[in-house]
Amino acid sequence: MQLPSLLQRRFVLVTGKGGVGKSTVVAMLARLSARAGRRTLVCELNTRERIPALFDHAPVGGEVTRIADNLWSVNIQPAMAMEEYALMKLRFRTLYRLVFENPLVRGMVGIIPGVHHLLMLGKAFNHEREVEADGRPTWDCIIIDAPATGHGLTFFQLPRIIRDAVPAGNLHREAADMWGLLTDPRRTAVHLVTLPEELPVRETVELHSRLARDLGMPLGYLFVNMMPPALLDPAQGDLFARLTEPPTDPHLHTLWAAGRIRLGREALAGNYRRQLAELAMPLIELPIQYARTFGSEQIGLLADHFLGQTR
Amino acid sequence: MMRRSEDRLWVTAGAGGVGKTTVAASLAVGAALAGRRVAVLTIDPARRLADALGLGQLTGELRRVQPALFEAAGLAATGELWAMMLDVHTTSDQMVHRFAPDPETARAILENKYYRYFSTSLSGSQEYMAIEQVRALADDGRFDLIVLDTPPAADALEFLDAPDRLVEALDSKAMQMLQSGRHGGFGARLLGRGRELVVRSLNTLTGGQFLEELVEFLAVFGSILDALKEASQSVRVLLRAPTSRFLLVTAPTASTVDEALHFQTTLASRGLPFGGFIANRVHVPYPDVPDAVLPGLAARLPADVPLAERLALLERLACGLRAHGRMADRDADALKRLAEAAGTPCAVVPLFPLDVRDLAGLARVARHLAE
Repeated sequence: MQLPSLLQRRFVLVTGKGGVGKSTVVAMLARLSARAGRRTLVCELNTRERIPALFDHAPVGGEVTRIADNLWSVNIQPAMAMEEYALMKLRFRTLYRLVFENPLVRGMVGIIPGVHHLLMLGKAFNHEREVEADGRPTWDCIIIDAPATGHGLTFFQLPRIIRDAVPAGNLHREAADMWGLLTDPRRTAVHLVTLPEELPVRETVELHSRLARDLGMPLGYLFVNMMPPALLDPAQGDLFARLTEPPTDPHLHTLWAAGRIRLGREALAGNYRRQLAELAMPLIELPIQYARTFGSEQIGLLADHFLGQTR
Repeated sequence: MMRRSEDRLWVTAGAGGVGKTTVAASLAVGAALAGRRVAVLTIDPARRLADALGLGQLTGELRRVQPALFEAAGLAATGELWAMMLDVHTTSDQMVHRFAPDPETARAILENKYYRYFSTSLSGSQEYMAIEQVRALADDGRFDLIVLDTPPAADALEFLDAPDRLVEALDSKAMQMLQSGRHGGFGARLLGRGRELVVRSLNTLTGGQFLEELVEFLAVFGSILDALKEASQSVRVLLRAPTSRFLLVTAPTASTVDEALHFQTTLASRGLPFGGFIANRVHVPYPDVPDAVLPGLAARLPADVPLAERLALLERLACGLRAHGRMADRDADALKRLAEAAGTPCAVVPLFPLDVRDLAGLARVARHLAE
């Protein structure tokens, strides 16, 4: 299976307003990537895990764990990320303990804002550089379920903030490298997820302008999740429109009333979709899954939908 | 849910996208209709909500929803409704000004390079000022009830913890060491064994000058500590008062219900008063339409269209009905689990055909919440 070129980037971030289905899109992209034979790592950031469950796997915690063919998942914990990073630089666990068990150091780590997000991003960044004994990169693709908008913007900007604030030394170099990766269109893609509703659309328009114009980040797809698929074809729509009076038959009335609500929602979603289409991003519609449960089967259906729109 | 007239503060909380702000506005409208003087504080409301309240644009200023607007919607508000938007984005400067012991210290903080870099994400300061604003309103005396909307749940925990955390961090041993009157650089303030080694290791990790500058910044910033601690204490007391209640808003899906339950546990562990669950945008099932009746119904559709096409339309409509029915089943499953796990019934607001966009719509949601 040949993946669309946007999905061939190695470092993938998915963001959007809370509740729009970021994790659903992460799971779908992870499935596509793994199916294409790429060793894929999904990173959730210190959150209630959602990804493993969408592959019928128990939560994995802070250790990188295989959850499907070619697919690994991790829920990055700031404390573990800090230890990993510090050990990499200091090389000795006793030295690490001496430093990080010092009350002043510990206290300062808690006070400095953004330090936790930086550590989590730093761990994902280190996975990008990870290589096997033969020199090949360990991961073909790393997908990050990024924080929701608002917090997300701060998250994306952190490496640049640190790079500019810290004059020199290791931290400066690391931050500069991270920022280099985040803004590199050959390696990185930032996908946005939204819903065809008022607030998510408004936030997406703002997010798009901040990420593209102010931060210069390489944007990928714009996923419009939960689009209601067209219930009627145009001829059926015309016939339905002729039923202007509420029918007297109770069954027909139910069909008519439910139909009007559904078509109303479709029209509203269509309007929001048109607003989103004005953003300079390739747009992918993901249909509502009218299913009693949402799991791996629905992720598979969405993946098929996605491929259908990128062929 | 809205019957407890002795309540002074309702806080709506929940995951992102569940409709907290709409629920907060509806609760406020319902209370105003019931004769109370209400102030609702929302965070980043939808345009349509500001419009619904007739306020054009909600600002950081408290404004009254005009009685004429209630009348126009056929509603008799015997109370008063006031609304404002909490600006959680630009408040850390205010916090510094408010709590710095003198203008010079305030300036020293505000002009510090690290402060400028971090002020947009300074842990807790924004949330802190938002809650502080609630306290000011509560002390104001003009209102019987304040309804506070919060940011989405992943942050809502942070939102509630923020004042405590900020104070704890600034009050930590680390801060005391920075404040201890020792002067000189980072190394000089460091106690304990292996001092030289710790300094050298940290320099390896970060680069030397950074630490020195940061220590200097934190030492100055710590000077606002005492005033902040005092104010924080009164916010803590307000949130835990017997007349305060947290209402947890959830969507009727398995994953958001999980979050709502998690949030309930978190409230309990922090000694914050839980007031109930509100399930928003719930699919209500339609009456059943058996396939067998469709041919008979086709006869009632315009006769100039071929019968097969009329029947095809009805089959599509029935298909839409079944899709809706699966969503209604999904919602019922989630609500059943919520009720079983929480041990309390929850208020249900149905999914309306269109977004709530006027006062009448908010009043309609309020009626469901009152049931």
